[in-house]
Amino acid sequence: MIYLDNSATTYPKPLKVRQAVASAMQTAANPGRSGHDLALMSSEQIFKTRKTAADFFHFSKEENVIFTLNCTMAVNMVLKGILKNGDHVVVSSLEHNAVMRPLEKLTQKGVSYTVAEVFPCDNDKTVNSFRQAINGKTKMIICTHASNVWGIKLPIERIAALAHEYGVLFAVDTAQSTGIVPIDLNNSHIDFLCTAGHKGLYGPMGTGILIVSGNTIPDTIIEGGTGTNSISFQQPEELPERFESGTPNYSGIVGLRAGIDFVNANKIENISKHEFTLIKHLYKELSKMPKVKLYMPEPSEEYFVPILSFNIDGTDSENVSSFLNKKGIAVRAGLQCSPMAHKMTGTLETGAVRISPSIFTKSSDIDYLVSVIKKI
Amino acid sequence: MGKPLIMVSSVTYAMKGKQILNNAGIRCEIERTTKRDISNGCGYSLYVPKDTDEAEKILRENNIKIIGRTERSNSK
Repeated sequence: MIYLDNSATTYPKPLKVRQAVASAMQTAANPGRSGHDLALMSSEQIFKTRKTAADFFHFSKEENVIFTLNCTMAVNMVLKGILKNGDHVVVSSLEHNAVMRPLEKLTQKGVSYTVAEVFPCDNDKTVNSFRQAINGKTKMIICTHASNVWGIKLPIERIAALAHEYGVLFAVDTAQSTGIVPIDLNNSHIDFLCTAGHKGLYGPMGTGILIVSGNTIPDTIIEGGTGTNSISFQQPEELPERFESGTPNYSGIVGLRAGIDFVNANKIENISKHEFTLIKHLYKELSKMPKVKLYMPEPSEEYFVPILSFNIDGTDSENVSSFLNKKGIAVRAGLQCSPMAHKMTGTLETGAVRISPSIFTKSSDIDYLVSVIKKI
Repeated sequence: MGKPLIMVSSVTYAMKGKQILNNAGIRCEIERTTKRDISNGCGYSLYVPKDTDEAEKILRENNIKIIGRTERSNSK
């Protein structure tokens, strides 16, 4: 099978990730609970992953790295842990339902939001759009770093600076950019970074990260045992335990460290360059086919991450996906959980076929994809 | 000197503290703190048999939350 659905989760996972997970399943005890050697060893493994993740994002506080099940959980923890009745939020017009659904739920509690339009390849207009959306009640700006449908990259450094200028919190969903675009938390005004562990970091599914990089600590949405301060019914204040009640996904977290090590060893710039080479080649080939509808300009590193979505005239995107599947090619069709992004391009009815490569994708894979599309 | 167990508020601080002390050339081990020593129950300590005062100073400088110091249990 040719796997081109890496925006959903990267596949295959690197050998060292699989080995790390297997090893963690063989030798581990509940971390952060007991004092025996095996439990302490497991705690140490978790801490090493925290440090690896903190270093990856150029952040010095390992304890502010919180492990979650996925990016969605991290986003929920931020939104529901911060926003109260009367608060206003600004989001982009490209948000995933990971942001929109919890936000919509919060409207029942008196939270309101404004959608700031994103202008592909025009960061000035995009930033101005965010500026116009801020009002006196705005508590937070939360946006995706890169669209999971169109690959459009948002100028998050500028949006973070804008938020800082207005005294507004800034949270970013980097599910599609982590591992492709370098992110430096030390030199930004990002307050909360939410990301997946199983996409560009090549970790196992069921892993995500929330980094509390600002001074505001969210309230908790889940409470329970942390292995510390057990006599108290009050949730501990200390991070990360405050946000990690219950037994963690130990093998997943250990595997995540192997994934980050894999990305570091291969270097983000090399991974990005490889994937962009493939996507640009695909774009050129598809643009030669009159029946193929492309919605964005040719993706450049400045304004995009290497994701490409398209449609074929007269054919439902799910039917294209199904046809490709029969030819041994795995892609994602439909709305990709991002109706807002499709609204922008008028593709809410049709959806789109999304191609997302990884470091393991070969140029021959793209050539085969092109040859199959020609036959549709 | 005395009281070689430095009690910290979480296992993460214990792990981070151990790393910081090891980088500073100070040997330490992580141990579970007994309920006798910690009023709110369940915690972790860094056992630092030598240079404990220096270790505590380094930990505080690195923002490790320290609950206090105690003696090691006789059973250990």
